[in-house]
Amino acid sequence: MTAVLDVQNIHKRFGSLEVLHGISLQAQRGDVISLIGSSGSGKSTFLRCINLLEMPDQGEIHLAGEAIRLKTNHKGLRTAIDQKQVQHLRSRVGMVFQQFNLWAHLSILENVMEAPVRVQGVQKAEAREIAMDYLNKVGIAHKADAYPAFLSGGQQQRVAIARALAMRPDAILFDEPTSALDPELVGEVLSVMRKLAEEGMTMLVVTHEMGFARDVSNKVIFLHQGLIEEQGHPSEVFSRPKSERLKQFLSNTSIK
Amino acid sequence: MLEMLPHWLTDWLGPDGMASLAYITNGKHLSWYASVRYTLIAAGFGAILAVFFGLLGAAAKLSKFAPLRWIGDIYTTMVRGIPDVLFLLFFPLAFEQGVEYVMAQWYCKPEELATATGWPLCSNAQWYLSTTEYMVLACFSLGIVYGAFAANVIYGALKAVPKGQLEAAHAFGFPSRDVFWRFQVRQMWVYALPGLSNVWLLLLKATSLLSLLQITDIVSWADRLGAPNYSPLAGLVHGDWRWKYYLVLFVFYILLTWLSEKFFAYLQARAGRGMARAN
Repeated sequence: MTAVLDVQNIHKRFGSLEVLHGISLQAQRGDVISLIGSSGSGKSTFLRCINLLEMPDQGEIHLAGEAIRLKTNHKGLRTAIDQKQVQHLRSRVGMVFQQFNLWAHLSILENVMEAPVRVQGVQKAEAREIAMDYLNKVGIAHKADAYPAFLSGGQQQRVAIARALAMRPDAILFDEPTSALDPELVGEVLSVMRKLAEEGMTMLVVTHEMGFARDVSNKVIFLHQGLIEEQGHPSEVFSRPKSERLKQFLSNTSIK
Repeated sequence: MLEMLPHWLTDWLGPDGMASLAYITNGKHLSWYASVRYTLIAAGFGAILAVFFGLLGAAAKLSKFAPLRWIGDIYTTMVRGIPDVLFLLFFPLAFEQGVEYVMAQWYCKPEELATATGWPLCSNAQWYLSTTEYMVLACFSLGIVYGAFAANVIYGALKAVPKGQLEAAHAFGFPSRDVFWRFQVRQMWVYALPGLSNVWLLLLKATSLLSLLQITDIVSWADRLGAPNYSPLAGLVHGDWRWKYYLVLFVFYILLTWLSEKFFAYLQARAGRGMARAN
């Protein structure tokens, strides 16, 4: 069975600082993989390399068996050979951001319809139906005509999840989806994500929510200084950590 | 035409009132009122061109391609530094003579060119400009000068659009051109409109320079009509009334400013729909 996502040997440097030293990951359909680690460990950068929001300096990305073609240009910078292919990859991999990043000039419904209509060419009426379905699913259909600025953080993040779902993606990348939320709003977002996981959505989640990582994901990857320090099933990783650094990291983190 | 007025009005105005009414509705005054069209056309098309050049300039300043950035920077720094009066004199003249120079290469005989001392280089290469052509050149001059101001305003506004939203658009597979036009430019207006309304008012006021280009605009007419007239044959005898006519222009420009403010308030509300920033 081909992996939905197959990412090999990703290196990334910012100037002279190398933040990723070669990270690989494979996600099968239905996998929920949590990326944990202290800040600065490179987990967000790695996630952003997968849909090329950051261009990796080295490494390969395969989506459903298709390799994203990258080259090194005359200045030594990596670029995509085919921008269309990158756009296609991005439209197949949803993304949910820490700061939600809903489009402020569009209503909630328009936010969810925009990319399916403009990028995937879905008919408006159909896109509206799909959008309303997903807004229902995340429990926010009653706000369809409101603008993002009038929603709470938790509501905005649920809309952002619906926006990603409406693309019918092969996988969704979550970049610290609850880190910008007030504590009392974290639960509503996590419960939506839990529901998606149960329905078999392939998810890569950068998170500080150890409870979520332990209970929902089927694989946990612990990053330290740009390398995978330890990985495995959450029951292994959380109850019998092998590396000293992971032990230390977990002792500093409360698991709810 | 005044005979068509109802009796109660003519009675109320009296002979002096009727004489004044006849004076301010004579042919020259009607031409004066009609010349308002030049002001409005120059302001309107000048503004459209200014926004166009402003968008181009701002896009150039933001370009990844260094020579385009230089062009954008040179445009905004240089043109903003030149007095608009000078530019309005320079650009139409330079353009006209440039066209005449090119025409000379086609229409003049080589021996004419060799011996030419004056301008144009030969009579065949003369381009006569009517008010229409001068209006077009005036609109472009205003567009170029105020486009440089608009470019700076728009440049700042484009950079004020939250980066994360543009990143989200990229992440959903929008091509860069769509990210720019559908998200960045679309949201830019909220930040740009206060600055653009300033640029618009400056441009509106600069239309009073149209008379520099042989266009008989409201300012030229006010000069002519207000000049002292001692001959009863030429109409009402009066001394130097120019200050009265200028006062009328003051009121006219203030009225336009007031209308503009209303219009920009409406635009601001429209562009900012849903983008509440006060919470």
